[in-house]
Amino acid sequence: MVVVPRAFSSLSRRFLQNCQILNKKSGLRSVHTTLRLCTERLFTEKHEWVQVDGKIGTVGISHYAQEALGDVVYAQLPEVGTEIQQKDECGALESVKAASEIYSPVSGKVVEKNVAVEESPSLINTSCYEKGWLFKLELSNESELQELMNETKYKEYLKTQEDH
Amino acid sequence: MALVQRPCTRLGFLFPRLNLRAFSKTESLKEDDIKKSVFISQSNDIYTNLALEEWLFKNFNFKQHHLLLLCQNNPSVVIGKHQNPWSETNFSDANNLERKGVKLARRSSGGGASYHDKGSLSMSFFSPRERHNSRYNMEIVARSVFREFGCEISVNPEEELVLRHNKPISSKAAKLGRDNSYYNLSLMIRTNKVNRNMALQKQDFALNTKARVLPTTSKVMNLCEETPEISVAAAMKAIGWEFLRTKALTIKDGGMELAFKQKGFHLINPTDKWFPGLNEIRNTYASWEWCFGQTPQFKIVRSFTVPVDLLHGNSGSSATLNITISVENGLISDITVFVPYGFKSFGFTGEAKVIHNLKGKRFSLQAFEELESSLDCLLDEKDKFVTECVKQVMSCA
Repeated sequence: MVVVPRAFSSLSRRFLQNCQILNKKSGLRSVHTTLRLCTERLFTEKHEWVQVDGKIGTVGISHYAQEALGDVVYAQLPEVGTEIQQKDECGALESVKAASEIYSPVSGKVVEKNVAVEESPSLINTSCYEKGWLFKLELSNESELQELMNETKYKEYLKTQEDH
Repeated sequence: MALVQRPCTRLGFLFPRLNLRAFSKTESLKEDDIKKSVFISQSNDIYTNLALEEWLFKNFNFKQHHLLLLCQNNPSVVIGKHQNPWSETNFSDANNLERKGVKLARRSSGGGASYHDKGSLSMSFFSPRERHNSRYNMEIVARSVFREFGCEISVNPEEELVLRHNKPISSKAAKLGRDNSYYNLSLMIRTNKVNRNMALQKQDFALNTKARVLPTTSKVMNLCEETPEISVAAAMKAIGWEFLRTKALTIKDGGMELAFKQKGFHLINPTDKWFPGLNEIRNTYASWEWCFGQTPQFKIVRSFTVPVDLLHGNSGSSATLNITISVENGLISDITVFVPYGFKSFGFTGEAKVIHNLKGKRFSLQAFEELESSLDCLLDEKDKFVTECVKQVMSCA
Protein backbone atom coordinates (compact mmCIF):
# COMPACT_ATOMS: atom_id res chain seq x y z
CA MET A 1 0.00 0.00 0.00
CA VAL A 2 2.90 2.36 0.73
CA VAL A 3 4.32 1.93 -2.76
CA VAL A 4 1.34 3.47 -4.51
CA PRO A 5 1.45 6.96 -2.96
CA ARG A 6 5.20 6.96 -3.34
CA ALA A 7 4.88 6.21 -7.03
CA PHE A 8 2.35 9.01 -7.29
CA SER A 9 4.54 11.51 -5.51
CA SER A 10 7.53 10.71 -7.67
CA LEU A 11 5.34 11.05 -10.76
CA SER A 12 3.95 14.36 -9.61
CA ARG A 13 7.41 15.60 -8.73
CA ARG A 14 8.58 14.80 -12.23
CA PHE A 15 5.50 16.58 -13.57
CA LEU A 16 6.26 19.65 -11.49
CA GLN A 17 9.85 19.71 -12.71
CA ASN A 18 8.61 19.66 -16.29
CA CYS A 19 6.32 22.55 -15.46
CA GLN A 20 9.23 24.51 -14.07
CA ILE A 21 11.20 23.99 -17.26
CA LEU A 22 8.23 25.18 -19.27
CA ASN A 23 7.87 28.18 -16.99
CA LYS A 24 11.48 29.13 -17.45
CA LYS A 25 11.04 28.99 -21.21
CA SER A 26 7.89 31.05 -21.18
CA GLY A 27 9.53 33.45 -18.73
CA LEU A 28 12.27 34.11 -21.28
CA ARG A 29 9.72 34.74 -23.96
CA SER A 30 7.66 37.15 -21.93
CA VAL A 31 10.64 39.47 -21.52
CA HIS A 32 10.18 40.48 -25.11
CA THR A 33 6.46 41.10 -24.79
CA THR A 34 4.70 43.39 -22.35
CA LEU A 35 5.02 42.57 -18.68
CA ARG A 36 1.53 41.78 -17.53
CA LEU A 37 0.07 39.81 -14.69
CA CYS A 38 -2.25 38.23 -17.19
CA THR A 39 -2.28 34.42 -17.54
CA GLU A 40 0.12 33.86 -14.66
CA ARG A 41 -1.43 31.79 -11.95
CA LEU A 42 -1.01 33.32 -8.49
CA PHE A 43 -1.24 31.44 -5.22
CA THR A 44 -2.10 32.18 -1.59
CA GLU A 45 -0.53 30.59 1.46
CA LYS A 46 -3.80 28.79 1.99
CA HIS A 47 -3.46 27.02 -1.36
CA GLU A 48 -6.01 28.90 -3.45
CA TRP A 49 -5.05 30.15 -6.91
CA VAL A 50 -6.29 33.00 -9.05
CA GLN A 51 -5.58 33.62 -12.71
CA VAL A 52 -6.32 37.13 -13.92
CA ASP A 53 -7.33 38.06 -17.44
CA GLY A 54 -8.16 41.73 -17.75
CA LYS A 55 -10.39 42.49 -14.79
CA ILE A 56 -11.71 38.95 -14.44
CA GLY A 57 -10.04 36.53 -12.05
CA THR A 58 -10.61 32.77 -12.12
CA VAL A 59 -10.33 31.08 -8.74
CA GLY A 60 -9.57 27.49 -7.80
CA ILE A 61 -7.65 25.37 -5.32
CA SER A 62 -4.11 24.11 -5.86
CA HIS A 63 -2.94 20.61 -6.61
CA TYR A 64 -1.57 20.37 -3.09
CA ALA A 65 -4.94 21.39 -1.62
CA GLN A 66 -6.99 18.93 -3.62
CA GLU A 67 -4.60 16.16 -2.73
CA ALA A 68 -4.83 16.99 0.96
CA LEU A 69 -8.61 17.12 0.77
CA GLY A 70 -9.09 13.77 -0.97
CA ASP A 71 -11.99 12.94 -3.28
CA VAL A 72 -14.32 15.93 -3.43
CA VAL A 73 -17.93 14.80 -3.36
CA TYR A 74 -19.86 18.06 -3.03
CA ALA A 75 -19.18 21.65 -4.05
CA GLN A 76 -21.13 24.62 -2.79
CA LEU A 77 -20.08 27.68 -4.82
CA PRO A 78 -20.90 31.38 -4.39
CA GLU A 79 -23.88 32.67 -6.37
CA VAL A 80 -23.37 35.04 -9.28
CA GLY A 81 -23.65 38.65 -8.13
CA THR A 82 -22.23 38.01 -4.63
CA GLU A 83 -19.75 40.65 -3.47
CA ILE A 84 -16.87 39.02 -1.63
CA GLN A 85 -13.93 40.40 0.26
CA GLN A 86 -10.46 38.91 0.17
CA LYS A 87 -10.16 36.01 2.64
CA ASP A 88 -13.94 35.83 3.02
CA GLU A 89 -15.58 32.46 3.33
CA CYS A 90 -17.56 32.06 0.12
CA GLY A 91 -18.49 28.40 -0.23
CA ALA A 92 -17.56 24.90 0.81
CA LEU A 93 -16.06 21.73 -0.58
CA GLU A 94 -16.88 18.44 1.02
CA SER A 95 -14.56 15.52 0.53
CA VAL A 96 -14.60 12.02 1.87
CA LYS A 97 -12.51 13.34 4.75
CA ALA A 98 -13.94 16.72 5.70
CA ALA A 99 -16.05 19.74 4.89
CA SER A 100 -13.66 22.50 3.94
CA GLU A 101 -14.50 26.17 3.55
CA ILE A 102 -13.58 28.05 0.38
CA TYR A 103 -11.89 31.44 0.78
CA SER A 104 -11.45 33.97 -1.95
CA PRO A 105 -7.85 35.02 -2.69
CA VAL A 106 -9.06 38.43 -3.95
CA SER A 107 -12.01 40.80 -3.47
CA GLY A 108 -14.62 41.27 -6.15
CA LYS A 109 -18.04 40.46 -7.50
CA VAL A 110 -18.80 36.92 -8.64
CA VAL A 111 -19.61 36.88 -12.37
CA GLU A 112 -19.71 33.14 -12.98
CA LYS A 113 -19.57 29.88 -11.05
CA ASN A 114 -18.43 26.59 -12.50
CA VAL A 115 -21.66 24.65 -12.92
CA ALA A 116 -19.71 21.65 -14.23
CA VAL A 117 -17.95 21.36 -10.87
CA GLU A 118 -21.27 21.49 -9.03
CA GLU A 119 -22.48 18.63 -11.23
CA SER A 120 -19.32 16.55 -10.93
CA PRO A 121 -17.14 17.74 -8.05
CA SER A 122 -14.45 15.18 -8.90
CA LEU A 123 -13.25 17.62 -11.59
CA ILE A 124 -11.47 19.42 -8.75
CA ASN A 125 -9.35 16.31 -8.19
CA THR A 126 -8.76 15.42 -11.81
CA SER A 127 -8.18 18.90 -13.20
CA CYS A 128 -7.73 21.47 -10.47
CA TYR A 129 -6.15 24.11 -12.75
CA GLU A 130 -8.28 23.63 -15.88
CA LYS A 131 -11.79 22.17 -15.70
CA GLY A 132 -11.90 22.26 -11.91
CA TRP A 133 -11.94 26.05 -11.43
CA LEU A 134 -14.54 27.21 -8.92
CA PHE A 135 -15.72 30.72 -9.77
CA LYS A 136 -14.82 33.87 -11.68
CA LEU A 137 -14.97 37.33 -10.22
CA GLU A 138 -14.54 40.89 -11.33
CA LEU A 139 -11.65 42.22 -9.26
CA SER A 140 -12.36 45.28 -7.16
CA ASN A 141 -8.83 45.77 -5.84
CA GLU A 142 -6.03 44.69 -8.15
CA SER A 143 -3.34 45.68 -5.66
CA GLU A 144 -4.27 42.55 -3.69
CA LEU A 145 -2.55 40.52 -6.39
CA GLN A 146 0.84 41.80 -5.29
CA GLU A 147 0.57 39.91 -2.00
CA LEU A 148 0.18 36.60 -3.84
CA MET A 149 2.92 34.18 -4.89
CA ASN A 150 3.72 33.13 -8.43
CA GLU A 151 4.12 29.46 -9.21
CA THR A 152 7.85 29.31 -8.49
CA LYS A 153 7.50 31.06 -5.15
CA TYR A 154 4.54 28.90 -4.25
CA LYS A 155 6.56 25.77 -4.87
CA GLU A 156 9.31 27.06 -2.61
CA TYR A 157 6.66 27.83 -0.02
CA LEU A 158 5.34 24.27 -0.28
CA LYS A 159 8.84 22.94 0.39
CA THR A 160 9.11 24.95 3.60
CA GLN A 161 5.72 23.59 4.64
CA GLU A 162 6.92 20.02 4.11
CA ASP A 163 9.92 20.62 6.34
CA HIS A 164 7.68 21.27 9.33
CA MET B 1 -16.06 13.67 38.65
CA ALA B 2 -13.91 14.92 41.52
CA LEU B 3 -10.78 14.27 39.53
CA VAL B 4 -12.23 16.02 36.57
CA GLN B 5 -12.84 19.20 38.50
CA ARG B 6 -9.37 19.36 39.97
CA PRO B 7 -7.65 22.04 37.91
CA CYS B 8 -10.94 23.62 37.03
CA THR B 9 -10.27 27.32 36.55
CA ARG B 10 -12.79 29.75 35.14
CA LEU B 11 -12.51 30.05 31.39
CA GLY B 12 -12.16 33.82 31.57
CA PHE B 13 -8.60 33.49 32.85
CA LEU B 14 -7.53 31.71 29.72
CA PHE B 15 -8.31 34.40 27.21
CA PRO B 16 -5.90 37.21 28.12
CA ARG B 17 -3.01 34.77 28.18
CA LEU B 18 -4.06 33.35 24.84
CA ASN B 19 -4.36 36.72 23.18
CA LEU B 20 -0.88 37.75 24.28
CA ARG B 21 0.51 34.59 22.83
CA ALA B 22 -1.24 35.07 19.55
CA PHE B 23 0.78 38.22 18.94
CA SER B 24 4.18 36.64 19.30
CA LYS B 25 4.78 35.32 15.84
CA THR B 26 7.35 32.66 16.49
CA GLU B 27 6.41 30.06 13.94
CA SER B 28 8.96 27.49 14.98
CA LEU B 29 6.82 25.96 17.69
CA LYS B 30 8.18 23.32 19.96
CA GLU B 31 5.87 20.48 20.69
CA ASP B 32 6.13 21.10 24.42
CA ASP B 33 5.00 24.71 24.02
CA ILE B 34 1.58 23.58 22.89
CA LYS B 35 -0.73 23.24 25.86
CA LYS B 36 -3.91 21.24 25.99
CA SER B 37 -7.30 21.62 27.62
CA VAL B 38 -10.35 19.47 27.96
CA PHE B 39 -13.67 21.34 27.93
CA ILE B 40 -16.75 19.55 29.22
CA SER B 41 -19.99 21.18 28.18
CA GLN B 42 -22.62 21.39 30.91
CA SER B 43 -25.42 21.56 28.36
CA ASN B 44 -27.23 18.57 26.88
CA ASP B 45 -28.94 20.60 24.19
CA ILE B 46 -27.64 19.59 20.78
CA TYR B 47 -28.12 23.06 19.27
CA THR B 48 -26.25 24.74 22.13
CA ASN B 49 -23.37 22.31 21.85
CA LEU B 50 -23.15 22.76 18.07
CA ALA B 51 -23.18 26.52 18.64
CA LEU B 52 -20.40 26.22 21.21
CA GLU B 53 -18.35 24.20 18.75
CA GLU B 54 -18.92 26.85 16.06
CA TRP B 55 -18.08 29.66 18.49
CA LEU B 56 -14.75 28.07 19.44
CA PHE B 57 -13.99 27.33 15.79
CA LYS B 58 -14.60 30.94 14.80
CA ASN B 59 -13.07 32.76 17.78
CA PHE B 60 -10.39 30.64 19.41
CA ASN B 61 -6.71 30.55 18.52
CA PHE B 62 -5.45 26.98 18.64
CA LYS B 63 -1.83 27.68 17.63
CA GLN B 64 -0.49 27.03 21.12
CA HIS B 65 -3.49 25.50 22.70
CA HIS B 66 -5.17 22.31 21.50
CA LEU B 67 -8.63 21.65 22.73
CA LEU B 68 -10.91 18.69 23.24
CA LEU B 69 -14.60 19.47 23.74
CA LEU B 70 -16.73 16.73 25.29
CA CYS B 71 -20.54 16.79 25.20
CA GLN B 72 -23.42 14.54 26.05
CA ASN B 73 -26.61 15.27 24.15
CA ASN B 74 -30.31 14.60 24.55
CA PRO B 75 -31.73 12.29 21.86
CA SER B 76 -31.04 13.85 18.47
CA VAL B 77 -30.28 13.00 14.88
CA VAL B 78 -27.41 15.04 13.49
CA ILE B 79 -26.88 15.18 9.74
CA GLY B 80 -23.83 16.39 7.82
CA LYS B 81 -23.69 19.90 6.41
CA HIS B 82 -24.64 18.90 2.88
CA GLN B 83 -27.13 16.14 3.56
CA ASN B 84 -30.83 15.76 2.92
CA PRO B 85 -32.82 15.18 6.14
CA TRP B 86 -35.85 13.88 4.23
CA SER B 87 -33.95 11.00 2.67
CA GLU B 88 -31.13 10.34 5.15
CA THR B 89 -33.22 10.17 8.31
CA ASN B 90 -36.58 8.92 9.41
CA PHE B 91 -37.49 12.44 10.35
CA SER B 92 -40.56 12.76 8.18
CA ASP B 93 -43.85 14.20 9.42
CA ALA B 94 -45.38 10.75 9.48
CA ASN B 95 -42.89 9.22 11.87
CA ASN B 96 -43.37 11.42 14.89
CA LEU B 97 -39.75 11.31 15.95
CA GLU B 98 -40.19 14.87 17.05
CA ARG B 99 -43.08 13.93 19.29
CA LYS B 100 -40.84 11.37 20.97
CA GLY B 101 -38.50 14.22 21.82
CA VAL B 102 -35.83 13.44 19.23
CA LYS B 103 -34.36 16.61 17.72
CA LEU B 104 -33.07 17.02 14.20
CA ALA B 105 -29.91 19.07 13.78
CA ARG B 106 -27.51 19.89 10.98
CA ARG B 107 -23.87 20.32 11.93
CA SER B 108 -21.29 22.41 10.08
CA SER B 109 -18.90 19.55 9.49
CA GLY B 110 -19.24 16.97 6.73
CA GLY B 111 -19.99 13.29 6.90
CA GLY B 112 -23.15 11.29 7.36
CA ALA B 113 -26.09 11.18 9.73
CA SER B 114 -25.47 10.11 13.32
CA TYR B 115 -27.67 9.48 16.34
CA HIS B 116 -26.87 10.89 19.77
CA ASP B 117 -28.37 10.33 23.17
CA LYS B 118 -27.22 10.36 26.80
CA GLY B 119 -25.49 7.05 26.19
CA SER B 120 -23.15 8.46 23.56
CA LEU B 121 -20.20 10.78 23.89
CA SER B 122 -19.54 13.57 21.39
CA MET B 123 -15.96 14.72 21.04
CA SER B 124 -14.57 17.63 19.06
CA PHE B 125 -10.79 17.81 18.69
CA PHE B 126 -9.77 21.38 17.82
CA SER B 127 -6.42 22.22 16.25
CA PRO B 128 -4.93 24.58 13.66
CA ARG B 129 -5.82 23.41 10.17
CA GLU B 130 -2.31 22.31 9.27
CA ARG B 131 -2.18 20.06 12.34
CA HIS B 132 -5.53 18.39 11.68
CA ASN B 133 -4.89 14.70 12.27
CA SER B 134 -7.75 12.23 12.36
CA ARG B 135 -5.51 9.24 13.11
CA TYR B 136 -4.08 10.94 16.17
CA ASN B 137 -7.55 11.65 17.54
CA MET B 138 -8.78 8.11 17.00
CA GLU B 139 -5.66 6.72 18.59
CA ILE B 140 -6.30 8.82 21.73
CA VAL B 141 -9.74 7.27 22.10
CA ALA B 142 -8.53 3.74 21.42
CA ARG B 143 -5.63 4.08 23.90
CA SER B 144 -7.77 5.57 26.64
CA VAL B 145 -10.35 2.80 26.47
CA PHE B 146 -7.61 0.20 26.54
CA ARG B 147 -5.76 1.85 29.43
CA GLU B 148 -8.83 2.39 31.59
CA PHE B 149 -11.09 -0.53 30.70
CA GLY B 150 -8.72 -3.05 29.12
CA CYS B 151 -10.89 -3.18 26.07
CA GLU B 152 -9.30 -3.32 22.65
CA ILE B 153 -10.57 -1.00 19.93
CA SER B 154 -9.00 -0.90 16.50
CA VAL B 155 -9.19 1.49 13.56
CA ASN B 156 -10.43 -0.07 10.33
CA PRO B 157 -9.37 1.02 6.81
CA GLU B 158 -12.44 3.28 6.55
CA GLU B 159 -11.08 5.13 9.60
CA GLU B 160 -13.79 3.96 11.94
CA LEU B 161 -13.28 2.78 15.48
CA VAL B 162 -14.33 -0.84 15.63
CA LEU B 163 -14.83 -3.47 18.30
CA ARG B 164 -14.01 -7.11 17.61
CA HIS B 165 -12.33 -5.94 14.39
CA ASN B 166 -15.49 -5.18 12.44
CA LYS B 167 -18.27 -3.72 14.59
CA PRO B 168 -18.27 0.10 14.36
CA ILE B 169 -18.75 2.00 17.61
CA SER B 170 -18.24 5.53 16.34
CA SER B 171 -19.12 8.04 13.67
CA LYS B 172 -16.88 10.85 12.52
CA ALA B 173 -16.86 14.13 10.65
CA ALA B 174 -14.47 17.00 10.12
CA LYS B 175 -14.44 20.68 9.32
CA LEU B 176 -11.54 22.65 7.89
CA GLY B 177 -11.51 26.44 8.02
CA ARG B 178 -8.88 28.98 7.04
CA ASP B 179 -6.84 28.69 10.23
CA ASN B 180 -8.80 26.36 12.45
CA SER B 181 -10.17 22.87 12.14
CA TYR B 182 -11.99 20.34 14.21
CA TYR B 183 -12.66 16.66 14.11
CA ASN B 184 -15.94 15.21 15.42
CA LEU B 185 -16.05 11.77 16.85
CA SER B 186 -19.15 10.29 18.41
CA LEU B 187 -18.66 7.20 20.52
CA MET B 188 -21.47 4.75 21.26
CA ILE B 189 -21.18 3.74 24.89
CA ARG B 190 -24.72 2.99 26.00
CA THR B 191 -26.76 4.30 23.10
CA ASN B 192 -30.29 3.02 22.54
CA LYS B 193 -29.62 1.02 19.38
CA VAL B 194 -33.28 0.47 18.51
CA ASN B 195 -33.96 4.19 18.55
CA ARG B 196 -30.78 4.81 16.63
CA ASN B 197 -31.67 2.40 13.86
CA MET B 198 -35.21 3.74 13.65
CA ALA B 199 -34.03 7.34 13.42
CA LEU B 200 -31.36 6.66 10.82
CA GLN B 201 -33.67 4.60 8.61
CA LYS B 202 -33.14 5.77 5.05
CA GLN B 203 -36.22 6.74 3.09
CA ASP B 204 -36.85 4.67 0.04
CA PHE B 205 -37.95 7.02 -2.68
CA ALA B 206 -36.52 7.93 -6.05
CA LEU B 207 -34.49 11.00 -5.35
CA ASN B 208 -32.51 13.11 -7.71
CA THR B 209 -30.02 15.02 -5.63
CA LYS B 210 -26.51 16.34 -5.33
CA ALA B 211 -26.65 16.01 -1.55
CA ARG B 212 -24.34 13.54 0.11
CA VAL B 213 -25.82 10.10 0.40
CA LEU B 214 -23.83 7.95 2.78
CA PRO B 215 -24.46 4.43 3.91
CA THR B 216 -25.37 4.09 7.58
CA THR B 217 -24.56 0.69 8.90
CA SER B 218 -26.91 -0.97 11.33
CA LYS B 219 -24.33 -3.45 12.58
CA VAL B 220 -23.04 -1.17 15.29
CA MET B 221 -22.04 -2.02 18.83
CA ASN B 222 -22.06 -0.23 22.13
CA LEU B 223 -18.87 -0.17 24.16
CA CYS B 224 -20.81 -1.42 27.18
CA GLU B 225 -21.44 -4.71 25.41
CA GLU B 226 -17.72 -5.43 25.75
CA THR B 227 -17.02 -3.63 29.02
CA PRO B 228 -20.22 -3.55 31.10
CA GLU B 229 -18.71 -1.31 33.78
CA ILE B 230 -18.21 1.62 31.40
CA SER B 231 -20.29 4.78 31.71
CA VAL B 232 -20.24 7.99 29.68
CA ALA B 233 -18.79 9.91 32.64
CA ALA B 234 -16.02 7.34 33.08
CA ALA B 235 -15.24 7.45 29.37
CA MET B 236 -15.07 11.28 29.48
CA LYS B 237 -12.54 11.08 32.28
CA ALA B 238 -10.46 8.40 30.58
CA ILE B 239 -10.38 10.11 27.18
CA GLY B 240 -9.73 13.52 28.75
CA TRP B 241 -6.71 12.28 30.70
CA GLU B 242 -5.37 10.37 27.72
CA PHE B 243 -5.63 13.55 25.62
CA LEU B 244 -3.70 15.51 28.26
CA ARG B 245 -0.94 12.94 28.74
CA THR B 246 -0.25 12.55 25.03
CA LYS B 247 2.19 14.87 23.24
CA ALA B 248 0.58 17.53 21.06
CA LEU B 249 1.96 16.58 17.65
CA THR B 250 3.07 12.99 17.93
CA ILE B 251 1.15 10.14 19.43
CA LYS B 252 3.62 9.60 22.29
CA ASP B 253 2.66 9.07 25.87
CA GLY B 254 4.09 11.66 28.26
CA GLY B 255 2.61 10.02 31.34
CA MET B 256 0.82 11.84 34.15
CA GLU B 257 3.83 14.12 34.43
CA LEU B 258 2.92 15.67 31.09
CA ALA B 259 -0.78 15.62 31.91
CA PHE B 260 -0.23 17.80 34.97
CA LYS B 261 1.66 20.37 32.91
CA GLN B 262 -1.41 20.95 30.76
CA LYS B 263 -4.27 23.32 31.39
CA GLY B 264 -6.51 20.51 32.59
CA PHE B 265 -10.25 20.02 32.63
CA HIS B 266 -12.76 22.85 32.49
CA LEU B 267 -16.46 22.59 33.05
CA ILE B 268 -18.02 24.88 30.49
CA ASN B 269 -21.33 26.63 30.85
CA PRO B 270 -22.31 27.50 27.28
CA THR B 271 -24.16 30.76 27.83
CA ASP B 272 -24.07 34.17 26.20
CA LYS B 273 -22.24 35.49 29.26
CA TRP B 274 -19.25 33.22 28.75
CA PHE B 275 -19.41 33.20 24.96
CA PRO B 276 -20.85 36.47 23.60
CA GLY B 277 -23.09 35.82 20.61
CA LEU B 278 -23.63 32.16 21.44
CA ASN B 279 -27.43 32.43 21.65
CA GLU B 280 -27.67 33.83 18.17
CA ILE B 281 -25.62 30.95 16.76
CA ARG B 282 -27.76 28.51 18.71
CA ASN B 283 -30.96 29.96 17.25
CA THR B 284 -29.57 29.59 13.75
CA TYR B 285 -28.73 25.95 14.39
CA ALA B 286 -32.24 25.31 15.75
CA SER B 287 -34.02 27.03 12.86
CA TRP B 288 -35.97 25.31 10.11
CA GLU B 289 -34.03 27.40 7.58
CA TRP B 290 -30.76 25.77 8.66
CA CYS B 291 -31.88 22.20 9.44
CA PHE B 292 -34.14 21.74 6.41
CA GLY B 293 -33.62 24.85 4.29
CA GLN B 294 -29.89 24.21 3.80
CA THR B 295 -30.59 20.99 1.92
CA PRO B 296 -28.98 20.93 -1.51
CA GLN B 297 -31.52 21.11 -4.32
CA PHE B 298 -33.33 17.84 -5.03
CA LYS B 299 -36.21 16.31 -6.97
CA ILE B 300 -38.63 13.58 -6.03
CA VAL B 301 -40.21 11.56 -8.84
CA ARG B 302 -43.12 9.16 -8.40
CA SER B 303 -45.48 7.32 -10.73
CA PHE B 304 -49.11 6.34 -10.12
CA THR B 305 -51.46 4.10 -12.07
CA VAL B 306 -54.66 5.90 -12.98
CA PRO B 307 -57.89 3.96 -12.22
CA VAL B 308 -59.65 2.86 -15.40
CA ASP B 309 -62.94 4.67 -14.72
CA LEU B 310 -61.16 8.01 -14.61
CA LEU B 311 -59.85 7.57 -18.13
CA HIS B 312 -61.82 8.89 -21.05
CA GLY B 313 -61.96 6.69 -24.15
CA ASN B 314 -59.77 4.12 -22.51
CA SER B 315 -57.81 2.22 -25.12
CA GLY B 316 -57.16 -0.62 -22.74
CA SER B 317 -53.54 0.20 -22.07
CA SER B 318 -52.57 1.11 -18.55
CA ALA B 319 -52.02 4.75 -17.89
CA THR B 320 -49.57 6.26 -15.46
CA LEU B 321 -49.41 9.66 -13.94
CA ASN B 322 -45.93 10.96 -13.12
CA ILE B 323 -45.32 13.64 -10.56
CA THR B 324 -42.00 15.42 -10.06
CA ILE B 325 -41.53 17.81 -7.18
CA SER B 326 -38.42 20.02 -7.15
CA VAL B 327 -37.26 21.41 -3.84
CA GLU B 328 -34.83 24.28 -3.44
CA ASN B 329 -33.78 25.61 -0.03
CA GLY B 330 -36.41 23.32 1.48
CA LEU B 331 -39.16 25.11 -0.45
CA ILE B 332 -41.14 23.64 -3.33
CA SER B 333 -39.82 25.32 -6.46
CA ASP B 334 -41.67 23.32 -9.09
CA ILE B 335 -44.21 20.54 -9.55
CA THR B 336 -44.57 18.80 -12.87
CA VAL B 337 -47.42 16.40 -13.60
CA PHE B 338 -47.33 14.18 -16.67
CA VAL B 339 -50.85 13.02 -17.35
CA PRO B 340 -51.91 10.14 -19.60
CA TYR B 341 -53.83 11.00 -22.77
CA GLY B 342 -57.37 9.94 -21.82
CA PHE B 343 -57.14 11.76 -18.55
CA LYS B 344 -56.17 15.00 -20.13
CA SER B 345 -59.09 15.38 -22.53
CA PHE B 346 -61.41 16.36 -19.70
CA GLY B 347 -59.25 19.24 -18.69
CA PHE B 348 -58.87 20.01 -15.04
CA THR B 349 -58.73 23.15 -13.06
CA GLY B 350 -58.30 22.04 -9.48
CA GLU B 351 -55.02 20.28 -10.10
CA ALA B 352 -53.45 23.38 -11.53
CA LYS B 353 -54.60 25.19 -8.42
CA VAL B 354 -52.99 22.64 -6.13
CA ILE B 355 -49.72 22.96 -7.97
CA HIS B 356 -49.79 26.72 -8.18
CA ASN B 357 -50.53 27.19 -4.51
CA LEU B 358 -47.84 24.79 -3.35
CA LYS B 359 -44.98 26.63 -5.02
CA GLY B 360 -42.82 28.47 -2.55
CA LYS B 361 -44.28 26.50 0.39
CA ARG B 362 -42.13 24.41 2.70
CA PHE B 363 -41.73 20.83 1.57
CA SER B 364 -43.85 19.31 4.33
CA LEU B 365 -47.04 17.32 4.53
CA GLN B 366 -48.49 19.90 6.89
CA ALA B 367 -48.34 22.62 4.25
CA PHE B 368 -50.07 20.31 1.84
CA GLU B 369 -52.82 19.28 4.23
CA GLU B 370 -53.69 22.88 4.97
CA LEU B 371 -54.03 23.55 1.30
CA GLU B 372 -55.99 20.40 0.66
CA SER B 373 -58.64 21.20 3.23
CA SER B 374 -59.18 24.62 1.72
CA LEU B 375 -59.59 23.14 -1.75
CA ASP B 376 -61.66 20.13 -0.86
CA CYS B 377 -65.07 21.36 -2.01
CA LEU B 378 -63.75 22.63 -5.33
CA LEU B 379 -62.45 19.35 -6.63
CA ASP B 380 -64.10 16.67 -8.73
CA GLU B 381 -63.14 13.01 -8.74
CA LYS B 382 -60.29 13.38 -11.17
CA ASP B 383 -58.79 16.36 -9.45
CA LYS B 384 -59.03 14.48 -6.19
CA PHE B 385 -57.04 11.66 -7.69
CA VAL B 386 -54.27 14.02 -8.78
CA THR B 387 -54.36 15.74 -5.42
CA GLU B 388 -54.08 12.38 -3.68
CA CYS B 389 -51.08 11.50 -5.84
CA VAL B 390 -49.36 14.78 -5.05
CA LYS B 391 -50.07 14.10 -1.39
CA GLN B 392 -48.44 10.71 -1.66
CA VAL B 393 -45.29 12.32 -2.98
CA MET B 394 -45.42 14.94 -0.26
CA SER B 395 -45.71 12.29 2.40
CA CYS B 396 -41.99 11.69 1.86
CA ALA B 397 -41.64 14.97 3.69
